[in-house]
Amino acid sequence: MTRLITVTIAAVTAMWLAGCATMTIGSHVERGLNVSQYRTYDWGLPDALPVSDPRLDRDPFFQDHLRGAVEKAMATRGFAWSTDQPPDLLLHFHANITERIDVDRLEARYGYCVTEGCSVPTVRYEAGTLVLDVLDARTNRLLWRGWAQDTVKGMLNNQDTMARQIDEAVARMFAEFPKPL
Amino acid sequence: MPPFARMTVAVAAVLAVAGCATTNIRSYMERGSDVGSYRTYAWGPPAVQTTGDPRLDNNQFFQDRVQAAVELQLAARGFERNITAPDLLVRYYASVEQQVNADGADRPYVSCDDCRPFVFDAGTIVVDLIDARTKRLVWRGWEEGSIDGAIANQSWMEKRIDQAVARIIEQLPRRIGRVS
Repeated sequence: MTRLITVTIAAVTAMWLAGCATMTIGSHVERGLNVSQYRTYDWGLPDALPVSDPRLDRDPFFQDHLRGAVEKAMATRGFAWSTDQPPDLLLHFHANITERIDVDRLEARYGYCVTEGCSVPTVRYEAGTLVLDVLDARTNRLLWRGWAQDTVKGMLNNQDTMARQIDEAVARMFAEFPKPL
Repeated sequence: MPPFARMTVAVAAVLAVAGCATTNIRSYMERGSDVGSYRTYAWGPPAVQTTGDPRLDNNQFFQDRVQAAVELQLAARGFERNITAPDLLVRYYASVEQQVNADGADRPYVSCDDCRPFVFDAGTIVVDLIDARTKRLVWRGWEEGSIDGAIANQSWMEKRIDQAVARIIEQLPRRIGRVS
């Protein structure tokens, strides 16, 4: 019985740890946005902020695959890529990698403090955040921002994993993109 | 996300919200400065900087909401917006960093079976009032607290901004001339 509990606890804590590695998606949107007034888009120039982590910045595979995935998602939603005419929408993205911490559940569960003060055991991991902005090309106003966050472990040096993560990120982000009214 | 993971995330969010009781609101004032002598304001040049959370960087929805909230609160205090000849320049900063709530796990000589330490996103909004003529900082107010889950939920984020800004401006000294 005790063993079963131990196994259960181990499984639970493992899920906790895995939990921080799950991709999370989110978005912000202009209130009352009617996307059906927009037909075409193009990639915009980067803004003043640092565009991305150098490891992704210098990775043509990442850039290409991401653009491809976004262009596909835009096409599915009926937006045409306009390169000769001024577009209705401008897109740009940021890809950051930041070090984040989480409580080490496996350590913390059995931890107790026997000295004059203890610190909480933490694990550090590298979290990637992909931000996609959709702007009104005429007003330069932000209409929609979607993002995906996930650990980048095993992604930076494996193109298959990277492609899978980009595809999942873009597909799930666009699931939150407003539908035409 | 499997249902269980979703549930634990929800539990973690509830804990984090409980942890946000430790909201810090403070302000500094330049010695000898009299906020009551200022009547008008304008927005100073926005600081291009990263917030520590890529979701907030250059996020117009966030920026607009903070500006609108500050304008509302300053108007409620009788300040008027004057773009051409303001007495004050207003500027704000926002930053996010992760913090650990030990939930008792760091107490000395205590077994910690029931402790649930957790990591949460702490957000800070700083509002600066600058003398438009001398460019000296006259007053700085800020709020720091847990914003865990607030960025992911746009309406919640807007509410948190409104609350934070209201509490920050609340600390602004009342006009001396007006009370007496």
